[in-house]
Formats: sequence, structure tokens, C-alpha cells
Amino acid sequence: MKKRPFKRATVLLLVSILVVSLALSGCGQNSSQNSSNQGQQNAAANEKIIRVTVSGTPNIDPAVGQDYGSCTALANIYDTLVFPQNDGTLKPMLAEKWDVSSDNLTYTFYLRKGVKFHNGDELTADDVVFSMKRLLTIGEGFAYLFTDVVKDVTAADTYTVKFTLNKPFAPFVETLVRLYILNKDQVTQNIKQNGQYGDMGDYGREWLITHDAGSGPYTVKELQQQAYLYAVRFDDYWGGWDKDAPDAFKLIDSTEGATVRTLMNNRELEITDQWQTTENINAMSKIPGVSIATIFSGTILNVMLNTKKAPTDDVNFRKALAYAFDYDSIVKLFPGSVKAKGPVPHDVPGNAADLMQYTYDIEKAKEYLQKSKYADKLDQYPVEVLTNSDVPDLEKIALSMQANAEKIGIKVNIVKAPWISIVDMMSKVDSTPNACIIFVAPHYNEAGSILESRYHSKSTGTWEQGEWLQSKEIDNMIEDALSTVDKNERFEKYKKIQEVLVDLCPTIWVLDQAERRAYQSDYMYWPGAELAKQGKPVTSVMGYNFYFHDFKIYPEKMKK
Amino acid sequence: MLKYIIKRLFQGIFVVIGISILIFIISRVVPGDPARMALGPRAPQFAVDELRKEMNLDKPLPVQYYYWFKGVIKGDFGKSLNTKRPVITDVKEFLPATLELALLSGFLFIIFATIIGLLSAQYRDTWVDGLTRILSYVGIAIPSFVVAVLLLLIFGYLWPVIPTLGRLSSNITPPPTITGLITVDSLITGNFAAFFDALKHLILPAIALAIGPLFQEARILRSALIDNINKEYISVVTGYGLPKGVIMRKHLLKPSFIPVVSVMGLDFASLMGNAFLVESIFNWPGLSRYGINAMLNKDLNAISAVIIIYGVIFLIVNIIVDLIIAWLDPRIRLGGE
Repeated sequence: MKKRPFKRATVLLLVSILVVSLALSGCGQNSSQNSSNQGQQNAAANEKIIRVTVSGTPNIDPAVGQDYGSCTALANIYDTLVFPQNDGTLKPMLAEKWDVSSDNLTYTFYLRKGVKFHNGDELTADDVVFSMKRLLTIGEGFAYLFTDVVKDVTAADTYTVKFTLNKPFAPFVETLVRLYILNKDQVTQNIKQNGQYGDMGDYGREWLITHDAGSGPYTVKELQQQAYLYAVRFDDYWGGWDKDAPDAFKLIDSTEGATVRTLMNNRELEITDQWQTTENINAMSKIPGVSIATIFSGTILNVMLNTKKAPTDDVNFRKALAYAFDYDSIVKLFPGSVKAKGPVPHDVPGNAADLMQYTYDIEKAKEYLQKSKYADKLDQYPVEVLTNSDVPDLEKIALSMQANAEKIGIKVNIVKAPWISIVDMMSKVDSTPNACIIFVAPHYNEAGSILESRYHSKSTGTWEQGEWLQSKEIDNMIEDALSTVDKNERFEKYKKIQEVLVDLCPTIWVLDQAERRAYQSDYMYWPGAELAKQGKPVTSVMGYNFYFHDFKIYPEKMKK
Repeated sequence: MLKYIIKRLFQGIFVVIGISILIFIISRVVPGDPARMALGPRAPQFAVDELRKEMNLDKPLPVQYYYWFKGVIKGDFGKSLNTKRPVITDVKEFLPATLELALLSGFLFIIFATIIGLLSAQYRDTWVDGLTRILSYVGIAIPSFVVAVLLLLIFGYLWPVIPTLGRLSSNITPPPTITGLITVDSLITGNFAAFFDALKHLILPAIALAIGPLFQEARILRSALIDNINKEYISVVTGYGLPKGVIMRKHLLKPSFIPVVSVMGLDFASLMGNAFLVESIFNWPGLSRYGINAMLNKDLNAISAVIIIYGVIFLIVNIIVDLIIAWLDPRIRLGGE
């Protein structure tokens, strides 16, 4: 017979489990009437809020933030002198108008009067001067757009500000969408002494991690690192308010598929991040009231070919690879995307529409390979293809390259590495593999940005240029175009650069990426998504597609 | 006892210094310039150089370590490249979140491992034992993040009765920070709405973390109980007519807990480190998630701080485990006492 001396203890412990279970389940009943999950939904139903998931907690210091979440936050919290429109042009914002000197070196902006910061102070030219100087001094965030360009900035009077440039830089006004205007007095009052910036202490950096000093439509209410940024509407916003505009927005730091899907299903999220898998996006599209927005963001997927390393240093070899690339199959891996038509994405102003196209053509690939100096010694020169191990879809591209290259006798070795290793490998010409598969987006909305960051010698050694082109001719052409003020002339020069690049074939331009996001279309009006649905262009300036002031939200239409 | 604790803590200092040297070197020799990573490819060189100078990256490795260690002694772990604020501020914010989660998880696996272990032993070779065995295999084999996703889909998606995101609902006023543990702080300040809300937010991630250790410990307890129940001393004390409760508590459960407590200690310490995926899934702003983000971004100061803090926690938990084992089994003399 079995000994069971601990029966009573077991009963006692079973009682305790019951107590624990009751305590855990009971708390659901005990909490106040609005603290249940349903309560959260009801709270959301009453609050006109737009919640978006982002990767990483936004950095809301205008001199520091530059990722997607940060750009979205900054576009809503701060105002800029000009504002990017969906058709690629700019409209006046804080600057009512501007003029340019005959030598194209001085830009004078005339500010709108009566614009209030969130603390009630009036925005003046001193604030613009302060914001630019702060950005240049700190040197982080979008400072690189101005460091080599801006010589000086001064306030001519209370409402007039003058920028003096080192050299003519035609897209200067375009870059000003990244100059977010801070309240000088407010920042100065919150400076932490003994910082690294001399008299300016820490330049308000510590304070600006969790506070704002802006004049934008929304003001920061709370920022919880690793959790969210919550901002509420600024009632005295100079631009006024539509009655259906959101009262608040929340950027939630999470891209976990299961989490995002659950939040969408529970109506606790209005727009997803762009990092969701195709499977997850498809699953969310089946939730009633949820639609999928497919929006081009100026991002292009490249296979960068190292032009200083054998065998990709041979132009014919590179062309052979370009013709042995199965573009259509790869585009299918990225739903909504389209085949790239050259170095500049089709939605970025200044792209050349009628460039020669490389297509999947094995016969042509063989033809070019025969012209290559490596034609007879292919076995000695395998091609090393680098992909980001964190992005599985990129490996599929490498595998496709491998299979197709084999058809013409080229051996492809695939190397997978995490992003930090890729950045390090690409810092030196010798350690940069023959081919690197990488997404790149422009820094401002014009072809000059992507041409400069991708093919000018000054970007070699960064992950933005695995080609190591280092061509004096291309450098001169890019610099010449960027200093050409006349837009038509400048765009013509961009076109010539693109033609030269296509002929040099330093890159296999794979596809123009479309961001796909699930969103609650039954109770929210998202201008960008609506335009995209109609096949119209949407701004590709990062963050500005989420200018929540122009959104509309109807909580009463929310389906439970 | 006190002498033993002091001795262990003293030894611990050297262990922590060893860990700090190791992690300092490892984090700095892996590829990638942290300053360039933090500022982006187009940041002007002067900004990158300034940051490198600020972080002492322009100095030889031993000098870097000296400056870093000097700061750590003063409680300054340097600045995070990711959050742009002092690492110690991040730690103060994120450690309590992970601790709170680990404590509830630990509480759950101690209680339920004991119950399941007892039931399995008592009903050995019956359907109860068979069921718990199958559950144990499943529980141990499934990683905590899979359990987290399943719980999220069940209780967030299909049957949304429990909050699935963060530590507190947005409509609840958080208690003032005293310990950083929201449940504790809300009880101290009498904010019961916050207490119950925080507890509800804790349930799913705590269960996800507890499942694996729970079944592992239950199996160990079952084996130990079965092993001990057949020993002669149990027959002797039963023969002496000792009450069953005394036999249970004093002669059976106590020695059977010795191997379980060792594993529980290890499980508790390691679940804090392994919590990062569960924290990501439930958007839990904890230290494990912070540590992983730091590693992905090569945030050197944050990496070092997180690993040292986990090292210290591991050390403390081990000392506590040793003390409990010594109490459970008086034959074990701590430190040769």
C-alpha cells in the first residue's frame, strides 16, 4: 500500500492555489469600473487619439532625433519654416515667403507673425537662429544637411532671418524641413550647467529628452522610455483645428507581430509600423474595418557592387550580374513594391523616368560576361554577397542571385551578418564584400540627396555606399547639380548623372519599396493612405506622412 | 552565519570585477564604432570625435576601463547612446519593472511547482502523475516567448479580458515612485485601483516566464519526494507515531526541497536575463529589453551596466539559496563553520 502521509498538506496547498487564483482573477473584478481591458477600449472610444507603433522610443530633441519614430514625433511637435507637400513641392509654414540673393548665397525668410510656442511665447527670428546654431553645434540628428552648407545665420529683425551659405546649394530650402524651431528662452531656462557646450551648458539636451519647446500642433504630455510618447493637441495652434482632428497621438515602442496584431484587433492601435511581415499584414487585413495602406517612401533596395574589388571591379562583369538578376521574382517578395527604374526611386523628385533598364536576360548576361576580363577564370573569382541576418527576405534575394549567377557560371558565396557588423565591414574597401544588399532612402526629398549620399566620394566608408565609386567625374557632376539653382536645369543634370551611373552599373537597382501598414479605415481618415489609394503621390519626407493635424478621427464609428 | 555572508560578499566583489573586465573587453572588441553607430553615417566627423572623446574611446583600453570603473564606483555608469541619458537613470527606471515581473513569476513557480510536485509524488503512477508529466514536458520544452505569444493571442485577441501591454492602463494614475515596483508603491500610497491594474498587467508576462521553471522544479521535487519517502527514517518516524503533519513538514518536505531550492535560485536569476522576449511581446519596459536593445545598438555603457547588475543579482540570489539550503539541511556547515 502506498504511503500518503502528506494528504493534508496537499489539501492545504490546494487551498492556497485557489486563493492565489482567486486573488489574480479577482483583481479583474475589484479594479475600478474603467480599468478593465474593455475599459481601455471605451476610454479609447471617447478619446480622439491616434496610436501608431514605431521601432524604438522617439528621440524628441530636434538636434538628435532622425529615425522614423523621431521624425514622426518632431513633425507634429515642432514647426518648420517650410512644409513638404504630397506632390513633392514645398509650402510656406513659419516662413510666409523667402527670397534668394543674386549670388545664391543668402536666403532671407520672412516669418509669420503671432505664432505661439506651447508655453505662450511668440516665435521670432531669434528662435530660428538659436535652433540652427544649436543643431550645428551639437552636430547630431540632421545637422549633416547643414554643416558644410550654412556659413552663418542672423536675425535681421524680429521676423526676418537670413541664412548665408558657404557655396550655392540649390536644395537648401528643401533641407529646411529638418530645421525644427525651438523656443530659445525656454531651452535656455532649462540648460544644465557644466555641460560640454561651454556657456550653453548641455544646450538643454537632458531636458529635451522628455520635454518639448515647440510650436507644433501637439505638445508632449509624457515620454516613457521603451514604452511610448504621448502628445496632446495644442489648442492655440496658429494653424487652427478641424473639429474631427485627433486630440492626441501616441507612438508606441513595439513592433512585435503578435502584440501589434492584438492591439489592432482590440482597436487599441490605429496604424501599425512598416516592419510587420507580409503574413501579419495579410492577417490584419481580415479584421473588419482594417485596411492596408501601400505608400512609397522614397526607399530603394540596392545590390551595391564593390567597384574596387575583383571581379566586380569590371564593368562588364557587373552588367552580367545585372542581367542575370530576376527582378520580377524579387519584387513579388515585397508586395506593393515596383521594379526600380534607376538610381533614384520613382517617387523622388528629380528621378529620370526614361533610363535604360537592366532586365532579366540570361543571354545578355552571358554576352557581357564574355567581354569581362574574368570570363576565363570565373572559378578563381567567386562573388561574395552580404545580407543582413536580421532581415530574412534579403537572404532570399541572395539565394536568387546565387541560383541565377550559377546559370552563367558565376559562383556566389552568401555571407550573413548583423547590422553592426555590416556597418563595420563597409567602413573599409577591402572588407566590403563584392555585393551588399541594402535599403537606402533620401535625406531630403530630391534626387540630389540620394545621388550625393550614394555615389559621391564623401560617402564611401559608410553603409550608404558599398560601391566605393570614388569617381572625380561623378563627384563634380553631383556638386555641379546641387549648386544649380534653376530647378529644370538642376533636374536635367540629375538625369545626366543617372544616365552615367546606369552605364557604369555600380549597383543592381532592385525595387522601389512600398511601406505597407495596416490601419483602422472605418473610424480614421488618413490623408496619405487615401491619396495612395487613388494612385496619387504621397510625401516621401520621413515623418510628414503622419502629420496628425490633418488626420480625422471618428470614435463613434469604431466597431467593437 | 554573518561571517559567511561577509565572506561571500567579499568574494563577490572579485567576481563582479572579473565580470566587468570581461564584458568591458568583449563589448569593445566586437565590430562597429559605437559613436558612428549612434550618430549615423552622415554625422559630421567632429560630432563623432567629440562623442568618442566623451566616452574615452580615443584612449587605450586599460585607460578606458580605469575611467569607466572610477565612474561606476561613484554610481555613474556613463551615458546611454540609445536613450541619451545617464545609464543609471535608465537602470533606476527599468530594473524595478523587471524585478516586479521576476518576483511575481518566482512567487508563481514556487507555489505551483510545490503543488504539482506534491501531487505527482502523492499520486505517483496514476493519471495525475501522467498528466503532470506530459504537462511538464510541454512546459519545459516550450520557450517562454512562445508561451507569451500564445497567452497574448488567447487573452488579448480571442478573449480580451486581461490587459496585454505595458505596466499600467493609460486611464489609471500611477502611484508616486517609492520603490519603482508599481504594485508595492500603490499599496504604500493606498492607490488600490493602480494596484489591481498593475497586478492584472503582470499576470500574463509572469505566467509566461514561470511556466518553464515551474514544471522543471515540480519534476525535481517529485523525484526527491519519492526518493525520500522510501527511506528508512521515514518508516522509523512513522513507527514512532509522529503526527503526519510533522513527518510531512520536518522529515519529508524539508530535505526534498534541497535540490529544488538550488534550481529555483538559478531559475529566478536566469529568468531576469531571459525575460527580454517576453518583455518585448508585452511591451514591458524592463531591464532585459533595455539590455538587448543596448547590444543591438552597441550601447557600451548600457551593456556593461546591465550585465554587472545581473551579475550582482545572480550573486545575491546564490547567497540566499546557500543560506536556505543550510537551514533546510543542518548538516551543511556554511563556510566550514
